[in-house]
Amino acid sequence: MNSMFGKMFGWFNSRLPIVNTFERHLSKHPVPSKVNFWYLFGALASVVLIIQIVSGIWLIMPYSNTEEQAFSSIEYIMRDVDYGWVIRYMHTTGASMFFAVVYLHMFRGLLYGSYQKPKELVWVFGCAIYLAMMAEGFLGYVLPYGQMSYWGAQVIISLFGAIPYIGESLELWVRGDYYISGITVSRFFALHVVALPLVLIALVFLHLVALHEVGAGNPEGVDIEAHLDEDGVPLDSVPFFPYKVLNALVGIGVFMTVFAIIMFFFPEGGGYFIEMANFEEANPLVTPEHIAPVWYYSPYYAMLRAVPDKLGGLIVMGSAVAILFVVPWLDNSKAASIRYKGVYSKVAIALFGISFLTLGYLGTVGVTEVRKTMSVICTVIYFAFFILMPVYTKYEITKKVPERL
Amino acid sequence: MNQKNIMNIKIIKFFTFFSLVFSINYLYSAEGGPCKDYGECDKFKYSLNDMESLQRGASTFLNYCYGCHSLQYSRWGRVAKDLQIPEDIFFDNLIFDKSIKAGDLMTGAMVDEESAQWFGVAPPDLTLVSRVRGDDWLYSYLRTYYEDSSKQYGVNNLVYPGTAMPNVLAALQGNQKLICKNIPILASNGGEKRDDLGNTLTKEKCGFLEVEKGTGTLTKDEFNNVIYDLTNFLVYVGEPAKATRERIGWYVIFYFLIFTALSALLYREYHKDYH
Amino acid sequence: MQEKDNTRRKVLIGLTSAVGLSGVPFAATPFIAAWNPSARAKAAGASVKIDVSKMQYGQQIQVAWRKQPVFIIRQTKESLAGLQETLPKLSDPNSEAIDEPYRGLNNTRSKSSEYTVIAGVCTHLGCSPKYHPEVEPKPWDATWSGGFFCPCHGSMFDMVGRVFKGVPAPTNLPVPPHYFDGNILTIGEDGGMA
Repeated sequence: MNSMFGKMFGWFNSRLPIVNTFERHLSKHPVPSKVNFWYLFGALASVVLIIQIVSGIWLIMPYSNTEEQAFSSIEYIMRDVDYGWVIRYMHTTGASMFFAVVYLHMFRGLLYGSYQKPKELVWVFGCAIYLAMMAEGFLGYVLPYGQMSYWGAQVIISLFGAIPYIGESLELWVRGDYYISGITVSRFFALHVVALPLVLIALVFLHLVALHEVGAGNPEGVDIEAHLDEDGVPLDSVPFFPYKVLNALVGIGVFMTVFAIIMFFFPEGGGYFIEMANFEEANPLVTPEHIAPVWYYSPYYAMLRAVPDKLGGLIVMGSAVAILFVVPWLDNSKAASIRYKGVYSKVAIALFGISFLTLGYLGTVGVTEVRKTMSVICTVIYFAFFILMPVYTKYEITKKVPERL
Repeated sequence: MNQKNIMNIKIIKFFTFFSLVFSINYLYSAEGGPCKDYGECDKFKYSLNDMESLQRGASTFLNYCYGCHSLQYSRWGRVAKDLQIPEDIFFDNLIFDKSIKAGDLMTGAMVDEESAQWFGVAPPDLTLVSRVRGDDWLYSYLRTYYEDSSKQYGVNNLVYPGTAMPNVLAALQGNQKLICKNIPILASNGGEKRDDLGNTLTKEKCGFLEVEKGTGTLTKDEFNNVIYDLTNFLVYVGEPAKATRERIGWYVIFYFLIFTALSALLYREYHKDYH
Repeated sequence: MQEKDNTRRKVLIGLTSAVGLSGVPFAATPFIAAWNPSARAKAAGASVKIDVSKMQYGQQIQVAWRKQPVFIIRQTKESLAGLQETLPKLSDPNSEAIDEPYRGLNNTRSKSSEYTVIAGVCTHLGCSPKYHPEVEPKPWDATWSGGFFCPCHGSMFDMVGRVFKGVPAPTNLPVPPHYFDGNILTIGEDGGMA
């Protein structure tokens, strides 16, 4: 019996790189021996991705992508489908958690220079994932066809109108109607459940392949490839299995506890995860009193509002995301990790973090004069962090990076 | 720099940020509360396991509200089951239309166009009202009607000024009016200001709600309880699975805590191999 | 020392996997349960009411319950008497093989002595059998004394839906829960007076 299985396995293995792939990318894949909790968020992001795909598939089944039934089909899921509420809350909580985890993952990248040579492509693919996620999240948010879905989509689609010459016809073309109607919802549904998930999965694959080619980083910014043992394995590394897997398992346990707390006790997240206005069916004639994007877009929304010009706002918002892609070529520092970078970098990243979070807060509240001024200041800091990066990383005094981990 | 210093800096950054955000929040959050002229909404704490409260709330809703407001996503039988009302009692006492079946949706008794003529707007469906407005808002709104002869139905509302809904529960509550009162002036130290003779200084302040004595069939507390039960029922209808959700939640969290603890022990065990 | 370490390790691996695996059925529950008929489907499939007083003797009508055909036949005295003759041809005259709700109540198999109420779905592969009340030789049976013939695979049933011997259908046509309130027949509910 055993040998028969062995034979079968051998047959497959000689035609498919099963053992090789498994060893290269999982069991024997070397990872740095000393990392901290910041290095868990990548694994957590893949956990959420799986949660989103599975719960998403189950939500497609009872969801109805028509103007008349989209909203009521959500209530149908919440009430009439057995455990439908579990699946829906899993998906809404997952959406917020996905962004939370990815934001922390990206910040880790900035902190420890995870984009520096030779990891530029890992970073670029990561940014592409983030961009795809933003589109995915936006499209998904329109599907319940509540007031916030409608007016959020209205605002975002109107942004296309800022593009000179083609703007207005582009808006109409995207909607396929004179307002955000059933056909818009239907289009967004197709993109949300088929097109973008395919793009996302492809990008995640590329992100991981590129990562495994150049190796994972560490908080010290030490190049572990520089010191290998006689088998060519880095001395400061441990095999992915079981060390990294068990480490990730602890992280997943903690993460899932937090996930469960939110999902079962605070699924609306105080109106930040599911906005209250979205429990009201879309009404194209009445704008809700207070309209704000879900929290994960709010920093960009604050930037948009900080600019008193429609096209300008769009450009600023777009650049805020676009500039992330070129970070690998902005950092001139000899050190990768913030631990060994100079004081300019430390101040810069602290100011950047604070202004990004402040923008996030400002994006969720109404506009006042003071808030608007703060948005402008924070937007300037956001961009200054990147634009001045070639300068301050070049002229600051870095500490010497150790040889070994 | 050693690890400890890094930690310290992190902690300092963390707190700087939070104090910053909170001070912003504190300084500039003068947007006006969701309860409008009433100021802060009264706090409402639901109790979805209190079946009697929910049953009373359902009864109040069906007797006073259901004539105009539907609960179109909710099903009769589900309400009876979740509120542990035996179906025969439920059908005999709370459902007036005999053609209704347990699986039917509570689509209401009124035709939209007709009611739009009566009230200017069609009375909204209330299935999700507790989720759109929040339970604090509902609990406050239903108790803050006051007499205002300038309005169509002679009443207005502090929480929802200009509301189109008449005070359906006025017979229970009585005639509530806005009155003015003399209240102590507070000094900057929080104490009451007194004049030279030691008498408390007062100023007139308006906007207090008071029910005219003897005009309602219920006392203030009894009426508050009726509204509590009604709001509780609307919270239930807004999300019928809520009580189940919170019950299951504890088990799930407990499960993941155990799992985390075990995997942490296991990780530590394997970690020894390396260090 | 090494020995002891391994025991601890094995115990921990066992415990962690046990806890991890024990969560799987719970995690799967909502996904499996979500495929059950929803409250809407159940409400739509609750019950149908029909006034049967207008039916002619010997007439068969078809109503949809849960979007599935249900046959109602108002039996004539002759056809009820004829049931005796067909008995030797039947494979399960007393419906032992199925869950018969009103066994022994009436020879119509229903709660009424006149009307038969049966599911109009062949127990073989789900086609809907045709009603042939005539007592005359048929291509499929030279001694046909009335009943149902399934055009798909030739299964035969008598006037009250009991299956013949030697046909592909394994069991009698089931009787759905129903009750009569005067002339009003309700299908899908028992009425609590079985």
